[in-house]
Order: sequence, then structure tokens, then C-alpha cells
Amino acid sequence: MSQVQQTEPAIEVLVPLEGEPGRIEGRSPWQLFWTRFRRDKIAVGAGLAVLALITLALLAPVLAAHIVHRGPNDLGQNYTSDIGVPLLGPSKIAWFGVDTLGRDVFIRTLYGARTSLKVSFIGTGASLIIGIFLGLIAGFVGGKVDTFISRTIDIVLSLPLLLMAIAISVACTSVITGCLGGVLKQGTGIVIFIIALFGWPYVARIVRGQTLSLREREFVEAARATGYGNFHIMFREILPNMVASIIVVATLLIPQNILLEAALSFLGVGIPAEIPSWGGMISQAANGQLYRLAWWMLIFPGMFLVITTLSFNLLGDGLRDALDPRSNR
Amino acid sequence: MKSVRGRRRIAAAALGVTIALVAAACGGNSTTGGSAGPSGTAQKGGTLREELPEFGWTNNFDPTGEYLGYAWGVFDQLLIRGLMTYKHVSADEGGDTPVPDLAAGDPTVSSDGLTYDFTLKDNVKWGPPLDRVVDANDILYAFQRINDAKEIAQYGNYYCGVIVGMDCKAKDDNQPISGITVTDATHISFKLEQPTGDFLYRLSMPATKPVPVEYRGCFPKAGDMGVDVFSDGPYMIMGQDKLDISSCSSIKPLEGYDVDKGMTMVRNPNWDPSTDETRSAYADGVQLKINTSVDNIFNNLLNGDIDVAEGTPPISVLQQLETDPKYTGWLHADQGDRTWYVTMNLLAPPFDDVHVRNAANLALDKIGIRKQYGGELRGDIATSVEPPTVLPNSTDINPFAANTGSGNAQAAMDEFKQSRYDTNGNGVCDDGPVCENIEFLGRNTDPWPAMDQVAIQSLKPVFPGLKLVETDTSTGYTTLQQVKKLIPISMVPGWGKDYASPYGFDFFIFDSQGISCTAAVNYSLVGMTADQANECGVKAQYDAYVQNNGPIPSVDDKMNECVQKPTDQVDACFAEMDTYLMTTAVPWVPWLWATNFTSTNLDPGHVTQYKFDQNAGIISYVNTAVGNTETPVNVA
Repeated sequence: MSQVQQTEPAIEVLVPLEGEPGRIEGRSPWQLFWTRFRRDKIAVGAGLAVLALITLALLAPVLAAHIVHRGPNDLGQNYTSDIGVPLLGPSKIAWFGVDTLGRDVFIRTLYGARTSLKVSFIGTGASLIIGIFLGLIAGFVGGKVDTFISRTIDIVLSLPLLLMAIAISVACTSVITGCLGGVLKQGTGIVIFIIALFGWPYVARIVRGQTLSLREREFVEAARATGYGNFHIMFREILPNMVASIIVVATLLIPQNILLEAALSFLGVGIPAEIPSWGGMISQAANGQLYRLAWWMLIFPGMFLVITTLSFNLLGDGLRDALDPRSNR
Repeated sequence: MKSVRGRRRIAAAALGVTIALVAAACGGNSTTGGSAGPSGTAQKGGTLREELPEFGWTNNFDPTGEYLGYAWGVFDQLLIRGLMTYKHVSADEGGDTPVPDLAAGDPTVSSDGLTYDFTLKDNVKWGPPLDRVVDANDILYAFQRINDAKEIAQYGNYYCGVIVGMDCKAKDDNQPISGITVTDATHISFKLEQPTGDFLYRLSMPATKPVPVEYRGCFPKAGDMGVDVFSDGPYMIMGQDKLDISSCSSIKPLEGYDVDKGMTMVRNPNWDPSTDETRSAYADGVQLKINTSVDNIFNNLLNGDIDVAEGTPPISVLQQLETDPKYTGWLHADQGDRTWYVTMNLLAPPFDDVHVRNAANLALDKIGIRKQYGGELRGDIATSVEPPTVLPNSTDINPFAANTGSGNAQAAMDEFKQSRYDTNGNGVCDDGPVCENIEFLGRNTDPWPAMDQVAIQSLKPVFPGLKLVETDTSTGYTTLQQVKKLIPISMVPGWGKDYASPYGFDFFIFDSQGISCTAAVNYSLVGMTADQANECGVKAQYDAYVQNNGPIPSVDDKMNECVQKPTDQVDACFAEMDTYLMTTAVPWVPWLWATNFTSTNLDPGHVTQYKFDQNAGIISYVNTAVGNTETPVNVA
């Protein structure tokens, strides 16, 4: 089995060493990837930014409890005027200032990162699972199954994403009993559902295309000749050979999903106001042109949103370049 | 009907207004009392231009069923004159007392208080193309529409069961009413089932205002007549003069009104100011244009594109209006005769225990909520059900004085220790599933999410299991109205008077008649009967309440007693009832006796005189003057 798997990528293993013309040394695909990736300083920087963001998000409760001594929903009404205008901007007391309820914008921004990452990671993960499964089936089985799945992909991709997302979210949150028998109610679950529902076709389309190509390769023929069944060939032979593409797709889907979550929350149909989210915070700042009086309510969550999506996008581009240097952007 | 915007504002007692004036005066640039601000001279002419986000009608602007306070103001001030009206000014100028309008004078009331005889003015005419005198049969027809079951008069209970022969179950709008007699074109009398001290208030409501008999049978469904409201007032909807009323089928919707675009009203050429003592009708026209962006509305006001905007301005604009000397007098905070409150369901654990409801009253941070709602100008912190502008001295009813406004968590926990839902005596709700995931229903439109947060955070020391669920306002009301859902606690609703008497505030919200299975407005279920519980599918919860607490607290009998009292005893009677509500039933945590915000552009060429209509709870369009020379254009 393992021999079969290693037959395919062997072409890539033998490469000249830099600075040592004529000398050839075998390297694994991952070594090659790392060599290429670390040369891309922008991608490395983006990766570090993503890591820093994840670390901050994970540490948010610790920072709240031991450094700032305030939770994301702790009110500080002394820091607001009689009509709720925040009076405390960025300062030693509140690094990013406070919002209309006197809540600490710094801690809420970090908790917003937790929300964004949680929703986008889980949503993207669900998209991957569905997309990989259906893409493999379509590409490998072909025929009517392929036609059916491909047309379904076309249909889902042709739907206006934001409008559909708003419609579903409103339908499931406008009644307190939710929808689908109460499975989908107000909360992060509905946003994750929407991301998964509309994200899988992007994955499925790429996986299908790759499967169509890979299923004709020699290692697949070898596996079939060895007597392995379709399920084994799809998931143990073909799938591992498209990991690189899947990683790239996932990395590019994550920022897209972060933006979708932020857009829905901004429009008031995503994450409930009680849960800190960047879209919700930006919406709060935009409400009544509050940013004219408290710019920090808009700038900090907005800045984190931009940095995060930019970092994931640059990281995704870097991964794509490193994993598949022949691809064209 | 659903929102506080849909409640009629009541009249105000001078003391209450005085208190409000003092409180509001602390706000800086704003004015109260309904007439301060502009320094120009009121003059005829020009067009009063307003933009608003939506109309929000409850019954398509059909006077028979419409239950939105704003609509009542438009009807009563501008379009339809009835037997009685108000002066369309603030309370301190007498705007909360019914005065004759079509009636030539006060009615003759029989000694037993059961018969009211009216004589009508003989020179008030319908606008074109009808061009005839309004007569008593037009008034009778309005009552026949109320009595028509299909018209669904949303406040028909003020007449059905009150006027002899009216039960709101007639098969059409052509059924006689034995208790209403039209002797000739200028004489009409009403026979009542029992003495009803506030009957004249009820006769000032829009559903009772005349409808031309030529309309009979033309609008058989609820709300249908809203696109063809016919005027005998100082203004008419643009295009009325072109209406063909020769048959029902020829009557087309008026061109000056589109619910999604706006409404333009122009002068009714048949209106004779000598017959009308309550309407100055300064402007040549009134334009009400729909603009869904509140930010844009207020930008247009500041830029001078419009003259008036109502409601809470965006926070940045509110700050400008309150603090920038350039805008001195632009913001008006007038008594709204309304109460904002948190409702608690008597049948929904843990709120089926009065100590729990008491604890909520002690814990709620009312001042914090008000801050998010617009600050002190938004009104006074409420301590009881009815605002002092409706029930004088209601500030004396304050059984939860330990909560001085900001919430008293310790007092709340001490109270909660007496409840059966505190298993370990620590003052916290901890009795298993009952105390976990207690749904707190709030609104999701700004500024309510922030207000919900303040409420939740202040209640959480006692109710750590509160779970906030937010919906749009309409869904919130619809949800609360369904008895079977048993929403335990909610900050969605507010309540304003229907008319300027305590009964006009309390009736629907606390009488058991305000409970219907899918359209209840008595959300707390005060006075619910076993039959109602059975019909609505909550008999098990009802029985559990009775078993644990005894009979459900009810104010039905007291309400009936109070409404029959002589005028000078009515307030004292209702004060007793409100005290009972706040100490024994405890269905609410009242948190604000609210004002109304109106913003007027006072630059030259805009508003030169501002008046507030206390009864309608909105700007008095008919007594506000503008200094522009614009002619009305159709915004619909």
C-alpha cells in the first residue's frame, strides 16, 4: 500500500540543491514546500500574524481575568455620557477605549477574534468535509452521479450568497423557536450552518477536478490491480494526493467566511449582540454615526478584521505558491 | 395596537407635566411643553415637510380599526372631524380634554348618566367631490362600521357592550344599532348600558368620526378604507377632489397616499375655519415622506431639506441637538403619556412566585437602560404602572423604593431568598432547570440591544440563567401575544394611553378581556380565568399557579368599579388599583415614563411655531407653522 502511494509524487523528489549545481538530493514534498514557503517573506509574515491572532484569541479569557480585570460584557456606565456616548478613548484604563455601554473594546475585540475564528474554522471544516466527499464521489464515479452533483454545485454557486444568507438567518431567528425543529436558533450555529451550506461547492468543484485527473493515473491503476475497492482508492489513494490543494482552498475560504460572518453580524442577522463579534462591533459604531464621537469603536475591530482577512489571504497565496509552483494566479 | 407607538397618549395632569418640565429642562438645548422654541411669528402658507422611516399602521390607516397613535393624530388633526376632538396642543395648554368639534356644544346627559344627546353644527362640509354637509347619519355609519364584525375595530370594546345594541358582531355595516338614535340630520343620541364617566373621551377616538354614507358597503374588509380616507377636516389627501364616488367600483385609491412612499395632504376648500376652534391649519400642505434611513432623515433635517423629524435622533445628532448652541430649541421632549416596562408572565416559572417578581423590580437598572435610550430627556424613572401625566400622584406608588433607579442587587437577593426557587438561601435562582435558560425576550433594533444588555446584566445577580433572545419589534409583540408560548420575561413592550383617562390606559393591558389566545395584550395574564387557560392550552400552568399561590390576581372588578365612579373619584380609585397591581400582582417592572422626541428645523424658512398634540402624542401639524413658500408636491 505505502509503495503505491509513493509512486506518484516521486517525480518531484529529485531536485538540484541551491548553490551546488550538479548535485542532486532527494527531498520529501513537504521539505520542498517548506523550502519554497520560507522564501516568501510576505507569506511567512502573514502566517505569523495568523498565529499571533489565534494566540490572542485563545488567551482572551486569561487577559480579561488577570490583566484587564473586565469581561467582554462587563458594563462601565461611568465611562459614558447621559445619552450613552463613550467618554473614554484609548487609554491606560481601556487600551482600545470603551463602547456605549462602557464595555472594554480591547477585550471585546479579542473575544470577537474568538468568535470569528470559531465560526470560520468550524464552518470551513464542515464545508471541507461535505465538499471533499461529494467532489470525490462526483469525480470518481462520474456519469449521472457526476452530472447531478455538478449541477447541484452550479445551482448553489449561482445563488446570491449574501441575500440567501440573510434570508435564512432572518427566517431562523425571527421566531424564537428557530427553524428545522429548533435545531437552528439565534447564536453562532446559524452562521456556521450558512457557511457550510454555501462553502462546500467551492471545495467540491476543485476536488472533483483533481479527482478526474488523478483517477486516470498509474498509482490508481496499480491500486485497482491490487484489488482495492473504490472507497479505498478514493479516500486512501486519491485524497492524500490532493491535500495540498485542499489546504490552499481552506486557507482562502477562511477569510471569506470571516467576512461573511462579519457582514451578517453587521446587518444584525448574524451573531447575537450579546456575543462579541467584529461585525457587530462595527455595526454598533456605525449606528447613529457614533464613530464621529468614538472613532475607536470602529477602528479597532475594523483593523483586526482587515489584518485577519489579509493575513489569511496572503498565507493562502503563499501556500498555493509553495505547494503548487506550476499554478497560475 | 402592538407597540407603544400604537397607543393613544393620554392627558396629563398639571403636576406631572411640571415635574417633567423641570426634569427635562436640565437637558440643555431641548424644549418641553410643546410650544417653546421658535421665535418667529406663526403665519399662513408654506408646506410642512417631514420624513419618517415607516408609517407602521396596524390596520392600513382605516379609521375604523387603526390603532396606531400616530395615525390617530393625522386623522384627528388633519383629516376627519368628529363629535368631539382635542385642542391639539400640549397638556398644559389643555390638550388632554375633549372639546366639541362637529358637536355644536357639550351634550345633554341624562340624570342617570345613560343617555347622551348631541346637536351637530349644520355648516361643516365634506370636502370635494362630495361637497355636502356632514350629518348625523355619517356618524351613525361610523358606529355601524365599528359594530361590523368583519371590520375588526381594534378598540371596539370601548363601545361594544357599552352602547346599547352594539356587540361588534354585526354581519355587515348596514345593521341598525338600537342604542344610537338619529332624529334628524343634526341630532344624534347614545343610550348606554351603564354609566360611563369617560364616554366623551371615547367619542373623540377616530373610529367614531363620521364616514360618508356614500361609502356604505364599499369597503367590507378590515383596513380597506385606509386608501380612501375621506375628509371633512382642514386638509384632504391629495387627489380626493378627483375621486369618483358614484359607485363603489369607481372609487380608486387616492393618488396622494402610498404606504411605502408617503402621504401628501392639501387644503380642503370646504373647510370653514369659523366652525373650527381647535385647528389653525397654518400650512398650505403637509408632506409625510417615507425615508427608511434614520441617519438620512436627520441629515436632511440639519441640512434644511425638511422641517420636522420625529423619534430618537442618531446618537451623534442627538449630542449636537443637545449641546450645540446652533441648535438651541430644535429638540422637543414632550410628555408621551406612556410607560416602558419589563413584563413578567404570572404562569411561567420562576415568575409564578411574587417574590421573584419583586426581586426583578428591585434589581433592574432603570437609569442605565434610560441612558441607552437617550438619557434623562427621555423621561422620568417609573415606579408604578401609570405615568403621572395620566394618573396624578402615581409617583407616590413606589413599593420598591430600595431600588433608587440603578438597581439594588442586594435588596433583590434578600427578596429572592423568600421565593421557592432559592434552594440554598443565597438569594440566587438555583432551582434546577426552572432557573436555567430563562428566555428574556428583547428587541434587536437599535438602541434596544444595548438596553437589553443593561437589563440582563442588572438582573443576572439574581437570575444567572437568563438567556437573551432578540427579535424585531413586530415579532416580539406577536410572540408575546401568543399565550401558549408563555414567554417568562420580556422588555419588548411599552404601553401608552388610549385616551386621557386612567381607564384608557389600564383596560386592555390588565383586564382579563385583554387576554386572547393568539392576540393577548395583557401579556402578564393578570386576571386570567380557568376557562381562558383551558382554551389557550395553559391549564396545567394555571392549575400549578393556583395550587402554589391561590387565585390569579385580578383587577377586573376594580376596573369596572372605577370606570363608573364620578369624575372626581376616578383617580383615587385607579390609584388603589395600581397600588394593588404593584404590590400584589406585580406583573411589571415599570422603568420609564417616557417623553416624545420631535426635532424641528428652526432656521429661517422652516418652523416658526411648534405645537405638540398631547392627545395624539405627536407634533401638532395643524397648529405648527412654517416660514417657507413651498407648495405641496405629491410624495406618494
